Amino acid sequence: MTTQIVECVLKEAEKHEAKRVSEVHLVIGKITFLNPEQARFWYEVLTKDTIMEGSKLYIEEKSGLVRCSKCCYEGGFKYEDDPIYHFPAPTLSCPKCGGIVEVVGGRDCLIKRVKLVL
Amino acid sequence: MREVVKAEKGEVYDIELEADILKANERLAEENKELLRKHRVVTIDVMGAIGSGKTSLIEKMVQVLKEKYRMAAFKGDLTTTIDAELIGRHGVEVVTISTGKECHLDANLVRKALQRIDLEKTDILFIENVGNLICPAEFPLGSEKRVVVVSVTEGPYMVVKHPFIFMEADVVLINKVDLAQAMEVNVKKLQKDVQKINPRARVVATNLRSGEGVKEVIEALGL
Repeated sequence: MTTQIVECVLKEAEKHEAKRVSEVHLVIGKITFLNPEQARFWYEVLTKDTIMEGSKLYIEEKSGLVRCSKCCYEGGFKYEDDPIYHFPAPTLSCPKCGGIVEVVGGRDCLIKRVKLVL
Repeated sequence: MREVVKAEKGEVYDIELEADILKANERLAEENKELLRKHRVVTIDVMGAIGSGKTSLIEKMVQVLKEKYRMAAFKGDLTTTIDAELIGRHGVEVVTISTGKECHLDANLVRKALQRIDLEKTDILFIENVGNLICPAEFPLGSEKRVVVVSVTEGPYMVVKHPFIFMEADVVLINKVDLAQAMEVNVKKLQKDVQKINPRARVVATNLRSGEGVKEVIEALGL
């Protein structure tokens, strides 16, 4: 995924004939399978020797959003609070009425903004 | 002459890119879904860990359903066509989707495979994903129903350790229940674990070697 992010930014930079990329701003959903720590590591590796080398990577995490068709609740997930989890596990239960919710947000893997030096 | 505004050398260009890496796959998945609907093909995507029983499930379902429906299968695998041969021996068309080194199928590979089968002569299409309980959850393929197979030989914590894939499932199989006692795994506890994460999913206990539970799976899938 980080490869795709870097490729996408490089393509955009090329389009504008930029000399350098100075900033990349990502929005990553809470339930997207991208660990910011690992993304940062690969970002550094993948941008080496490119015009993105040394650019600042900003990662904003976006919380999940669910909607309940029964009680019309719209908001965050109900999390499983079992102590065995070191990572809160979201569920498809409505935190308000216990009904079944649909996931409507939090799956983002968005390159929101880039700063190019021309 | 019309005036052209050009960026100065060294100027910083701040671009709202708004490019979502995962959206491209979602769009293709929607296109696949539409194409399959147009040809009235019911598509079932089977996910699960390596050796959980994904191929066995498709084999058993094909055996039960072959008099009633015309079926085809896509088989995602890194290298071999072993599983494709297993499914193919029941007289259904099988296309192997080789992912090479990738751990999951994506909508683009499925789109390509769809060009290899006659959709007009297909009622049900099974898509068996690469054995993996993580990445396939992130990549919708365009299927109507998603099935996750988990087996008791994977231990008692497979569901709680991989909650995300179970959120995607319409039907969850707990397979190899004949070995539950030997493995000291409580099948009811696994069922509860699934229902906690995804109360929408139907959970069926199966022994795919003997065929136990296959009828319930077919029912749960509305076939």
